[in-house]
Amino acid sequence: MIQTVVSRIFWFVLLVLLQALVCNHIHILGYATPLPYIYFLLILPGNTPRWLYILLGFVLGLLIDASCNTPGVAAATTTAGGLLTPWLLHLFAPKDYDENTPLLPSVHTMEWSAFLRFATAVTVLHCLLFFCLEAFNLFHWPDVLINTLGSSALTILFIAAFELIRNEK
Amino acid sequence: MNTFFDFIRKYNYFFVFLLLEAVSFTLLFNFNSYQGSVWFTAANSAVAEVNGVYESGVSFVRLREVNKDLVHRNVLLQQQNDRLRKALQEAGHHPSETEVLLREQLGTLSLISATVVSNSSERANNYLVIDKGTAEGVTPEMGVVGGGGVVGIVYLTGPHHSLVIPITNRKSSLSCRVRGQSYFGSLQWEGKDLRLAHLDDIPRYAKVNKGEIVETSGYSAVFPPGLFVGRVVGVGNSSDGQSYKLNVRLGTDFATIRDVEVIATPYKVEIDSLKAKAAERDAAAAASGNLPQ
Repeated sequence: MIQTVVSRIFWFVLLVLLQALVCNHIHILGYATPLPYIYFLLILPGNTPRWLYILLGFVLGLLIDASCNTPGVAAATTTAGGLLTPWLLHLFAPKDYDENTPLLPSVHTMEWSAFLRFATAVTVLHCLLFFCLEAFNLFHWPDVLINTLGSSALTILFIAAFELIRNEK
Repeated sequence: MNTFFDFIRKYNYFFVFLLLEAVSFTLLFNFNSYQGSVWFTAANSAVAEVNGVYESGVSFVRLREVNKDLVHRNVLLQQQNDRLRKALQEAGHHPSETEVLLREQLGTLSLISATVVSNSSERANNYLVIDKGTAEGVTPEMGVVGGGGVVGIVYLTGPHHSLVIPITNRKSSLSCRVRGQSYFGSLQWEGKDLRLAHLDDIPRYAKVNKGEIVETSGYSAVFPPGLFVGRVVGVGNSSDGQSYKLNVRLGTDFATIRDVEVIATPYKVEIDSLKAKAAERDAAAAASGNLPQ
């Protein structure tokens, strides 16, 4: 339990720093920017209270906002992410999973296909919301769409890489 | 009543969600203007500090590139200097009062070197944060130039950092002219390509060719006249067809900008106070019913 908490705090700090110092400077073709910090919401234990999911999402977004100059955009998005992630996790969780032990989402407990589908669902929703809020109008909807698709693809790559690294140990 | 409380207890997370979303959107609406950006950047010294350390690392890595740019710029300036000196010798006429004033103004310019510590170059409303503030003598509405030409205008200042609105901000509008001609217009960013902007309101009888230099007009008191801004890459019509709209390739590459200079013009205050005085006198004359003589 303590180990899980410490490891999640470590990921939290790592992901915020990664976003502020590296990912925020990546703009492939001026569109695709990876937003891998939602990996933190993905790997929260399945038995985390839902209000804590939302609160952690908000704090994560606020820190991302402070370091990336996007006041309110990431906070609003990750708060919504905190609401949606448990639902999606429940949707993609293995059917034969024992209800009594907490589900720690990873490729170990969920297999690659289920975990990637779960990650893709969260990422695409997250990116769509993020770029809609950033643009804040629908006149540039093709741009928003390209942004969303490009960034989602990059983010999923990052998440898959994180999973590989995390399960190496 | 009990069912109501049960409902609240069961869906407590949803109320947390609504509350935090409300906070987020308050942030979004309140701080997405420049005031907000400043709060999150210049005023947030902790973040600025981290950015500063990071940027100093990056600028060290990019020194080679910057050096090349500087040498190139230096050669260009030397050539220009030679040309100007020759022109000055040839001129030798009695300067008019305006010319004397202008030379005086240029001679007293002092530059404050600064480094860009935060640079957003992917949004519609870009801005830069530089590591010099009121402590070093930077005040709002000072001009900022870099190795590639004009960069932007200081908008807000903190004790050690300042927020600059670059040309590549949709809200930015810079009075520019084509070198060698007196027609001037306002330079605005297109919103897409960081290197492209357009110059509006150039009259149709002006003769402008591709490759001509666009420079500051000096009408704003922020920049002295004649500073390099970019080059004309295309001549098109404005949307109402009444004037030309020039496509300008900017001299500054905002994606890699590091080292800039803030132009500290001591006459800005004087010019502004003169303008204010004139406006005051006009208002007084209008109030008393007399036309100003």
